Amino acid sequence: MNPFPAALIATAAAPMTRRGLAKLRTREALLAAGKRLFTERGYEEATVRDIARAAGMSTGAVFANFTDKADLFQQVLSQDAWTLAETMRQVASLRDGCVRETLLTVLAAGYAFHLKQLPLLRAACAEGWRQDAAREVTSRDRMRQIISILEGVLRKAVANGEMRSDIDVDLAVDLIWHAYQSNYRLAIYDGFDLEGLTGRLERQLDLILPSLAHRQAA
Amino acid sequence: MGGIRDAQKQATRERVLAAARELFVDIGYEAATIRMIADRAGVATGSVFTTFPSKIAILRAVMDERLERLFLELDAVVPHLRGSTVVRLCSVMAMHYDFEMRRPRLFTTYLAANFEWSDGEPLITFGRQPRLVGILRDILTAGVTGGDVRSDIDVNVFIDFLLAAYGFNYRLAAQEGLGAGELSDIMDRQIALMFSGIARNAAG
Repeated sequence: MNPFPAALIATAAAPMTRRGLAKLRTREALLAAGKRLFTERGYEEATVRDIARAAGMSTGAVFANFTDKADLFQQVLSQDAWTLAETMRQVASLRDGCVRETLLTVLAAGYAFHLKQLPLLRAACAEGWRQDAAREVTSRDRMRQIISILEGVLRKAVANGEMRSDIDVDLAVDLIWHAYQSNYRLAIYDGFDLEGLTGRLERQLDLILPSLAHRQAA
Repeated sequence: MGGIRDAQKQATRERVLAAARELFVDIGYEAATIRMIADRAGVATGSVFTTFPSKIAILRAVMDERLERLFLELDAVVPHLRGSTVVRLCSVMAMHYDFEMRRPRLFTTYLAANFEWSDGEPLITFGRQPRLVGILRDILTAGVTGGDVRSDIDVNVFIDFLLAAYGFNYRLAAQEGLGAGELSDIMDRQIALMFSGIARNAAG
Protein backbone atom coordinates (compact mmCIF):
# COMPACT_ATOMS: atom_id res chain seq x y z
CA MET A 1 0.00 0.00 0.00
CA ASN A 2 3.02 2.27 0.13
CA PRO A 3 2.94 4.77 -2.72
CA PHE A 4 6.61 5.63 -2.53
CA PRO A 5 9.18 4.24 -4.93
CA ALA A 6 11.44 1.52 -3.66
CA ALA A 7 14.52 3.71 -3.88
CA LEU A 8 13.08 6.00 -1.28
CA ILE A 9 12.03 3.22 1.06
CA ALA A 10 15.48 1.73 0.75
CA THR A 11 17.20 4.92 1.91
CA ALA A 12 14.69 5.47 4.67
CA ALA A 13 14.82 1.95 6.01
CA ALA A 14 18.48 1.12 5.48
CA PRO A 15 20.19 -1.20 6.09
CA MET A 16 18.12 -3.61 4.02
CA THR A 17 18.42 -7.31 4.40
CA ARG A 18 19.26 -9.23 1.28
CA ARG A 19 15.82 -10.79 1.30
CA GLY A 20 14.18 -7.41 1.75
CA LEU A 21 16.13 -6.08 -1.19
CA ALA A 22 15.12 -9.00 -3.37
CA LYS A 23 11.47 -8.43 -2.49
CA LEU A 24 11.77 -4.78 -3.43
CA ARG A 25 13.31 -5.67 -6.76
CA THR A 26 10.49 -8.10 -7.45
CA ARG A 27 7.97 -5.43 -6.62
CA GLU A 28 9.70 -2.89 -8.83
CA ALA A 29 9.87 -5.34 -11.72
CA LEU A 30 6.17 -6.14 -11.36
CA LEU A 31 5.23 -2.47 -11.20
CA ALA A 32 7.28 -1.75 -14.32
CA ALA A 33 5.78 -4.70 -16.22
CA GLY A 34 2.31 -3.74 -15.03
CA LYS A 35 2.75 -0.19 -16.17
CA ARG A 36 3.94 -1.31 -19.58
CA LEU A 37 1.06 -3.74 -20.15
CA PHE A 38 -1.62 -1.41 -18.78
CA THR A 39 -0.30 1.24 -21.13
CA GLU A 40 -0.18 -1.08 -24.13
CA ARG A 41 -3.47 -2.92 -23.59
CA GLY A 42 -5.59 -1.03 -21.11
CA TYR A 43 -6.70 -2.26 -17.72
CA GLU A 44 -9.11 -5.04 -18.67
CA GLU A 45 -6.89 -6.66 -21.29
CA ALA A 46 -3.73 -6.78 -19.19
CA THR A 47 -4.01 -9.98 -17.17
CA VAL A 48 -2.11 -10.77 -13.99
CA ARG A 49 -0.59 -13.76 -15.77
CA ASP A 50 0.73 -11.65 -18.62
CA ILE A 51 2.12 -9.07 -16.23
CA ALA A 52 3.91 -11.77 -14.25
CA ARG A 53 5.31 -13.30 -17.42
CA ALA A 54 6.48 -9.92 -18.72
CA ALA A 55 8.35 -9.42 -15.45
CA GLY A 56 9.82 -12.91 -15.75
CA MET A 57 8.00 -14.10 -12.64
CA SER A 58 5.26 -16.40 -11.51
CA THR A 59 1.65 -15.37 -11.05
CA GLY A 60 2.16 -16.17 -7.37
CA ALA A 61 4.79 -13.43 -7.15
CA VAL A 62 2.13 -10.89 -8.11
CA PHE A 63 -0.19 -12.01 -5.34
CA ALA A 64 2.65 -12.13 -2.84
CA ASN A 65 3.21 -8.42 -3.47
CA PHE A 66 -0.24 -7.07 -4.33
CA THR A 67 -3.74 -7.90 -3.17
CA ASP A 68 -5.02 -8.22 -6.73
CA LYS A 69 -4.80 -6.64 -10.16
CA ALA A 70 -6.71 -3.57 -9.00
CA ASP A 71 -4.15 -3.07 -6.23
CA LEU A 72 -1.24 -3.42 -8.65
CA PHE A 73 -2.89 -0.90 -10.97
CA GLN A 74 -3.41 1.54 -8.12
CA GLN A 75 0.24 1.16 -7.08
CA VAL A 76 1.37 1.89 -10.63
CA LEU A 77 -0.73 5.05 -10.65
CA SER A 78 0.49 6.07 -7.20
CA GLN A 79 4.12 5.64 -8.18
CA ASP A 80 3.49 7.78 -11.26
CA ALA A 81 1.72 10.44 -9.24
CA TRP A 82 4.61 10.57 -6.83
CA THR A 83 7.12 11.02 -9.67
CA LEU A 84 5.00 13.69 -11.31
CA ALA A 85 4.38 15.56 -8.05
CA GLU A 86 8.13 15.64 -7.46
CA THR A 87 8.70 17.14 -10.93
CA MET A 88 5.93 19.67 -10.41
CA ARG A 89 7.30 20.74 -7.03
CA GLN A 90 10.68 21.36 -8.62
CA VAL A 91 9.14 23.33 -11.47
CA ALA A 92 7.08 25.37 -9.01
CA SER A 93 10.09 26.21 -6.86
CA LEU A 94 12.15 27.27 -9.88
CA ARG A 95 9.51 29.66 -11.19
CA ASP A 96 9.57 33.07 -9.73
CA GLY A 97 7.12 34.61 -12.15
CA CYS A 98 3.51 35.56 -11.71
CA VAL A 99 0.96 33.04 -10.52
CA ARG A 100 -0.44 32.52 -14.04
CA GLU A 101 2.93 31.58 -15.48
CA THR A 102 3.78 29.33 -12.55
CA LEU A 103 0.49 27.46 -12.77
CA LEU A 104 0.88 27.05 -16.52
CA THR A 105 4.42 25.69 -16.21
CA VAL A 106 3.54 23.33 -13.36
CA LEU A 107 0.48 21.93 -15.10
CA ALA A 108 2.20 21.74 -18.48
CA ALA A 109 4.68 19.41 -16.78
CA GLY A 110 1.68 17.21 -15.96
CA TYR A 111 0.44 17.27 -19.54
CA ALA A 112 3.90 16.44 -20.87
CA PHE A 113 4.16 13.52 -18.44
CA HIS A 114 0.77 11.98 -19.24
CA LEU A 115 0.83 12.63 -23.00
CA LYS A 116 3.71 10.16 -23.19
CA GLN A 117 1.47 7.41 -21.79
CA LEU A 118 -2.02 8.37 -22.85
CA PRO A 119 -3.55 4.85 -22.86
CA LEU A 120 -2.56 4.44 -19.20
CA LEU A 121 -4.21 7.73 -18.39
CA ARG A 122 -7.32 6.65 -20.23
CA ALA A 123 -7.47 3.45 -18.21
CA ALA A 124 -6.97 5.50 -15.04
CA CYS A 125 -9.82 7.82 -16.04
CA ALA A 126 -12.18 4.90 -16.57
CA GLU A 127 -11.15 3.35 -13.25
CA GLY A 128 -11.43 6.68 -11.52
CA TRP A 129 -15.10 6.98 -12.32
CA ARG A 130 -15.89 3.49 -11.11
CA GLN A 131 -17.10 3.77 -7.62
CA ASP A 132 -15.41 1.83 -4.97
CA ALA A 133 -14.84 3.33 -1.55
CA ALA A 134 -11.28 2.05 -1.09
CA ARG A 135 -10.20 3.10 -4.56
CA GLU A 136 -11.75 6.52 -4.13
CA VAL A 137 -9.60 7.06 -1.06
CA THR A 138 -6.39 5.98 -2.83
CA SER A 139 -7.15 8.15 -5.81
CA ARG A 140 -8.02 11.09 -3.60
CA ASP A 141 -4.67 10.75 -1.80
CA ARG A 142 -2.95 10.69 -5.16
CA MET A 143 -4.72 13.80 -6.37
CA ARG A 144 -4.11 15.49 -3.03
CA GLN A 145 -0.36 15.56 -3.71
CA ILE A 146 -0.81 17.57 -6.87
CA ILE A 147 -3.67 19.69 -5.61
CA SER A 148 -1.53 20.76 -2.65
CA ILE A 149 1.13 22.04 -5.06
CA LEU A 150 -1.49 24.25 -6.75
CA GLU A 151 -2.64 25.38 -3.34
CA GLY A 152 0.92 26.35 -2.46
CA VAL A 153 1.25 28.43 -5.63
CA LEU A 154 -1.96 30.34 -4.88
CA ARG A 155 -1.15 30.86 -1.20
CA LYS A 156 2.23 32.23 -2.15
CA ALA A 157 0.52 34.66 -4.54
CA VAL A 158 -1.76 35.75 -1.72
CA ALA A 159 1.21 36.16 0.61
CA ASN A 160 3.21 38.29 -1.83
CA GLY A 161 0.23 40.46 -2.61
CA GLU A 162 -0.33 39.37 -6.20
CA MET A 163 -3.72 38.01 -5.17
CA ARG A 164 -6.28 39.39 -2.78
CA SER A 165 -6.22 38.02 0.72
CA ASP A 166 -9.97 37.42 0.85
CA ILE A 167 -10.10 34.94 -2.02
CA ASP A 168 -11.43 31.42 -1.59
CA VAL A 169 -8.26 29.46 -2.34
CA ASP A 170 -9.97 26.06 -2.15
CA LEU A 171 -12.61 27.09 -4.65
CA ALA A 172 -10.03 28.47 -7.07
CA VAL A 173 -7.80 25.40 -6.71
CA ASP A 174 -10.74 23.06 -7.31
CA LEU A 175 -11.65 24.88 -10.49
CA ILE A 176 -8.08 24.93 -11.79
CA TRP A 177 -7.80 21.22 -11.01
CA HIS A 178 -11.07 20.48 -12.84
CA ALA A 179 -9.94 22.47 -15.84
CA TYR A 180 -6.55 20.76 -15.91
CA GLN A 181 -8.02 17.27 -15.62
CA SER A 182 -10.92 17.74 -17.97
CA ASN A 183 -8.59 18.86 -20.74
CA TYR A 184 -7.28 15.31 -20.96
CA ARG A 185 -10.51 14.55 -22.79
CA LEU A 186 -9.19 16.76 -25.55
CA ALA A 187 -6.01 14.69 -25.67
CA ILE A 188 -7.86 11.37 -25.59
CA TYR A 189 -10.64 12.16 -28.06
CA ASP A 190 -9.41 15.05 -30.17
CA GLY A 191 -5.68 14.44 -30.40
CA PHE A 192 -4.65 17.65 -28.63
CA ASP A 193 -0.90 17.91 -28.11
CA LEU A 194 1.02 19.68 -25.35
CA GLU A 195 0.65 23.05 -27.00
CA GLY A 196 -3.07 22.57 -27.53
CA LEU A 197 -3.66 21.50 -23.94
CA THR A 198 -1.68 24.35 -22.38
CA GLY A 199 -3.33 26.80 -24.76
CA ARG A 200 -6.74 25.67 -23.56
CA LEU A 201 -5.65 25.82 -19.93
CA GLU A 202 -4.36 29.34 -20.46
CA ARG A 203 -7.79 30.51 -21.56
CA GLN A 204 -9.44 28.75 -18.63
CA LEU A 205 -7.07 30.39 -16.17
CA ASP A 206 -7.80 33.74 -17.78
CA LEU A 207 -11.46 33.28 -16.93
CA ILE A 208 -10.84 32.99 -13.20
CA LEU A 209 -7.46 34.49 -12.28
CA PRO A 210 -8.08 38.18 -13.11
CA SER A 211 -10.88 38.47 -10.57
CA LEU A 212 -8.61 37.02 -7.87
CA ALA A 213 -5.79 39.44 -8.57
CA HIS A 214 -5.12 42.44 -6.44
CA ARG A 215 -5.31 44.86 -9.29
CA GLN A 216 -7.56 44.08 -12.19
CA ALA A 217 -5.17 43.63 -15.08
CA ALA A 218 -6.45 45.07 -18.32
CA MET B 1 -41.85 -3.66 -43.42
CA GLY B 2 -44.09 -5.80 -41.28
CA GLY B 3 -45.92 -3.77 -38.68
CA ILE B 4 -46.25 -6.65 -36.26
CA ARG B 5 -42.59 -7.44 -36.44
CA ASP B 6 -41.66 -3.81 -35.83
CA ALA B 7 -44.00 -3.65 -32.85
CA GLN B 8 -42.42 -6.80 -31.43
CA LYS B 9 -38.98 -5.40 -31.96
CA GLN B 10 -39.96 -2.21 -30.20
CA ALA B 11 -41.45 -4.16 -27.29
CA THR B 12 -38.26 -6.21 -26.93
CA ARG B 13 -36.21 -3.05 -26.99
CA GLU B 14 -38.25 -1.46 -24.24
CA ARG B 15 -38.14 -4.55 -22.07
CA VAL B 16 -34.39 -4.87 -22.48
CA LEU B 17 -33.89 -1.19 -21.63
CA ALA B 18 -36.09 -1.42 -18.53
CA ALA B 19 -34.27 -4.54 -17.33
CA ALA B 20 -30.85 -3.02 -18.03
CA ARG B 21 -31.72 0.20 -16.20
CA GLU B 22 -32.75 -1.75 -13.11
CA LEU B 23 -29.68 -3.96 -13.21
CA PHE B 24 -27.23 -1.09 -13.77
CA VAL B 25 -28.71 0.67 -10.75
CA ASP B 26 -28.91 -2.43 -8.56
CA ILE B 27 -25.60 -4.16 -9.23
CA GLY B 28 -23.71 -1.73 -11.47
CA TYR B 29 -22.84 -1.70 -15.15
CA GLU B 30 -19.77 -3.89 -14.90
CA ALA B 31 -21.42 -6.69 -12.97
CA ALA B 32 -24.50 -6.77 -15.19
CA THR B 33 -24.09 -9.29 -18.01
CA ILE B 34 -26.08 -9.48 -21.23
CA ARG B 35 -27.48 -12.78 -20.02
CA MET B 36 -28.72 -11.28 -16.78
CA ILE B 37 -30.33 -8.46 -18.73
CA ALA B 38 -32.02 -10.98 -21.02
CA ASP B 39 -33.26 -13.05 -18.06
CA ARG B 40 -34.73 -10.07 -16.31
CA ALA B 41 -36.35 -8.81 -19.52
CA GLY B 42 -37.76 -12.29 -20.19
CA VAL B 43 -36.21 -12.50 -23.67
CA ALA B 44 -33.58 -14.74 -25.21
CA THR B 45 -29.95 -13.64 -24.96
CA GLY B 46 -29.83 -13.66 -28.75
CA SER B 47 -32.67 -11.15 -28.93
CA VAL B 48 -30.65 -8.70 -26.88
CA PHE B 49 -27.85 -8.93 -29.41
CA THR B 50 -30.14 -8.43 -32.37
CA THR B 51 -31.51 -5.30 -30.70
CA PHE B 52 -28.25 -3.81 -29.43
CA PRO B 53 -24.74 -4.38 -30.81
CA SER B 54 -23.03 -4.25 -27.38
CA LYS B 55 -23.53 -3.70 -23.68
CA ILE B 56 -22.20 -0.18 -24.02
CA ALA B 57 -24.86 0.49 -26.66
CA ILE B 58 -27.49 -0.54 -24.10
CA LEU B 59 -25.98 1.86 -21.56
CA ARG B 60 -26.03 4.61 -24.16
CA ALA B 61 -29.72 3.95 -24.90
CA VAL B 62 -30.59 3.84 -21.18
CA MET B 63 -28.87 7.18 -20.63
CA ASP B 64 -30.47 8.78 -23.70
CA GLU B 65 -33.90 7.67 -22.58
CA ARG B 66 -33.33 8.96 -19.07
CA LEU B 67 -32.00 12.30 -20.29
CA GLU B 68 -35.02 12.72 -22.51
CA ARG B 69 -37.09 13.23 -19.36
CA LEU B 70 -34.64 15.77 -17.96
CA PHE B 71 -34.63 17.72 -21.19
CA LEU B 72 -38.41 17.78 -21.38
CA GLU B 73 -38.36 19.26 -17.89
CA LEU B 74 -35.70 21.80 -18.91
CA ASP B 75 -37.55 22.74 -22.10
CA ALA B 76 -40.57 23.56 -19.98
CA VAL B 77 -38.69 25.50 -17.31
CA VAL B 78 -35.79 27.31 -19.01
CA PRO B 79 -37.87 29.82 -21.03
CA HIS B 80 -39.41 31.00 -17.76
CA LEU B 81 -36.19 31.39 -15.80
CA ARG B 82 -35.77 34.87 -14.39
CA GLY B 83 -32.80 36.77 -13.09
CA SER B 84 -29.25 37.39 -14.19
CA THR B 85 -27.25 35.13 -16.46
CA VAL B 86 -25.38 33.68 -13.46
CA VAL B 87 -28.62 32.81 -11.70
CA ARG B 88 -29.98 31.13 -14.81
CA LEU B 89 -26.81 29.10 -15.36
CA CYS B 90 -26.93 28.00 -11.72
CA SER B 91 -30.57 26.95 -12.03
CA VAL B 92 -29.94 24.77 -15.06
CA MET B 93 -27.03 23.01 -13.38
CA ALA B 94 -28.95 22.56 -10.13
CA MET B 95 -31.72 20.85 -12.09
CA HIS B 96 -29.10 18.49 -13.47
CA TYR B 97 -27.81 17.59 -10.04
CA ASP B 98 -31.35 17.08 -8.75
CA PHE B 99 -32.03 14.75 -11.60
CA GLU B 100 -28.78 12.76 -11.76
CA MET B 101 -28.32 12.41 -8.01
CA ARG B 102 -31.47 10.33 -7.88
CA ARG B 103 -29.35 7.66 -9.56
CA PRO B 104 -25.74 8.72 -8.94
CA ARG B 105 -24.32 5.31 -9.62
CA LEU B 106 -25.83 5.16 -13.08
CA PHE B 107 -24.34 8.49 -13.95
CA THR B 108 -20.80 7.80 -12.73
CA THR B 109 -20.95 4.42 -14.44
CA TYR B 110 -21.69 6.30 -17.60
CA LEU B 111 -18.75 8.61 -17.04
CA ALA B 112 -16.46 5.62 -16.48
CA ALA B 113 -17.71 4.00 -19.68
CA ASN B 114 -16.74 7.18 -21.50
CA PHE B 115 -13.13 6.09 -21.22
CA GLU B 116 -13.60 2.40 -22.00
CA TRP B 117 -11.38 0.86 -24.59
CA SER B 118 -13.57 -1.42 -26.62
CA ASP B 119 -16.47 -0.46 -28.85
CA GLY B 120 -15.63 1.90 -31.67
CA GLU B 121 -18.71 4.05 -31.22
CA PRO B 122 -17.93 6.47 -28.42
CA LEU B 123 -20.47 7.65 -25.91
CA ILE B 124 -21.25 11.31 -25.73
CA THR B 125 -18.62 12.41 -23.25
CA PHE B 126 -19.61 14.66 -20.44
CA GLY B 127 -19.49 18.25 -21.51
CA ARG B 128 -20.64 17.37 -25.00
CA GLN B 129 -24.29 16.64 -24.49
CA PRO B 130 -25.58 18.76 -27.39
CA ARG B 131 -28.88 19.73 -25.83
CA LEU B 132 -27.31 20.88 -22.58
CA VAL B 133 -24.62 22.78 -24.49
CA GLY B 134 -27.41 24.36 -26.57
CA ILE B 135 -29.33 25.48 -23.47
CA LEU B 136 -26.20 27.03 -21.93
CA ARG B 137 -25.31 28.71 -25.21
CA ASP B 138 -28.78 30.27 -25.42
CA ILE B 139 -28.51 31.61 -21.87
CA LEU B 140 -25.10 33.13 -22.60
CA THR B 141 -26.29 34.65 -25.88
CA ALA B 142 -29.23 36.17 -24.03
CA GLY B 143 -26.72 37.49 -21.49
CA VAL B 144 -24.74 39.22 -24.22
CA THR B 145 -27.93 40.80 -25.57
CA GLY B 146 -29.13 41.64 -22.09
CA GLY B 147 -25.83 43.31 -21.29
CA ASP B 148 -24.37 41.33 -18.36
CA VAL B 149 -22.04 39.19 -20.52
CA ARG B 150 -19.21 40.60 -22.63
CA SER B 151 -19.68 40.16 -26.36
CA ASP B 152 -16.10 39.06 -27.08
CA ILE B 153 -16.13 35.87 -25.00
CA ASP B 154 -15.30 32.39 -26.28
CA VAL B 155 -18.58 30.66 -25.52
CA ASN B 156 -17.18 27.18 -26.19
CA VAL B 157 -14.29 27.50 -23.77
CA PHE B 158 -16.61 28.84 -21.09
CA ILE B 159 -19.20 26.09 -21.52
CA ASP B 160 -16.56 23.38 -21.64
CA PHE B 161 -15.01 24.70 -18.41
CA LEU B 162 -18.38 24.93 -16.70
CA LEU B 163 -19.29 21.38 -17.68
CA ALA B 164 -15.89 20.09 -16.59
CA ALA B 165 -16.56 21.45 -13.12
CA TYR B 166 -20.08 20.06 -13.25
CA GLY B 167 -18.79 16.58 -14.08
CA PHE B 168 -15.90 16.52 -11.64
CA ASN B 169 -18.12 17.59 -8.78
CA TYR B 170 -19.63 14.10 -8.95
CA ARG B 171 -16.27 12.80 -7.79
CA LEU B 172 -16.62 15.04 -4.79
CA ALA B 173 -20.07 13.63 -4.22
CA ALA B 174 -18.62 10.12 -4.23
CA GLN B 175 -15.64 10.97 -2.03
CA GLU B 176 -17.44 13.02 0.54
CA GLY B 177 -20.95 11.70 0.37
CA LEU B 178 -22.51 14.94 -0.80
CA GLY B 179 -26.08 15.26 -2.01
CA ALA B 180 -27.65 17.20 -4.86
CA GLY B 181 -28.18 20.32 -2.73
CA GLU B 182 -24.58 20.50 -1.59
CA LEU B 183 -23.30 19.91 -5.11
CA SER B 184 -25.48 22.72 -6.40
CA ASP B 185 -24.10 25.06 -3.71
CA ILE B 186 -20.54 24.25 -4.77
CA MET B 187 -21.44 24.64 -8.43
CA ASP B 188 -23.04 28.05 -7.69
CA ARG B 189 -19.76 29.32 -6.25
CA GLN B 190 -17.77 27.85 -9.13
CA ILE B 191 -20.07 29.44 -11.69
CA ALA B 192 -19.78 32.80 -9.93
CA LEU B 193 -15.98 32.65 -10.12
CA MET B 194 -15.91 31.52 -13.76
CA PHE B 195 -18.50 34.10 -14.65
CA SER B 196 -16.23 36.85 -13.35
CA GLY B 197 -14.15 36.13 -16.45
CA ILE B 198 -16.96 36.90 -18.89
CA ALA B 199 -19.01 39.43 -16.94
CA ARG B 200 -19.43 42.87 -18.35
CA ASN B 201 -18.87 45.21 -15.49
CA ALA B 202 -19.23 48.96 -15.30
CA ALA B 203 -15.47 49.46 -15.62
CA GLY B 204 -15.09 47.22 -18.67
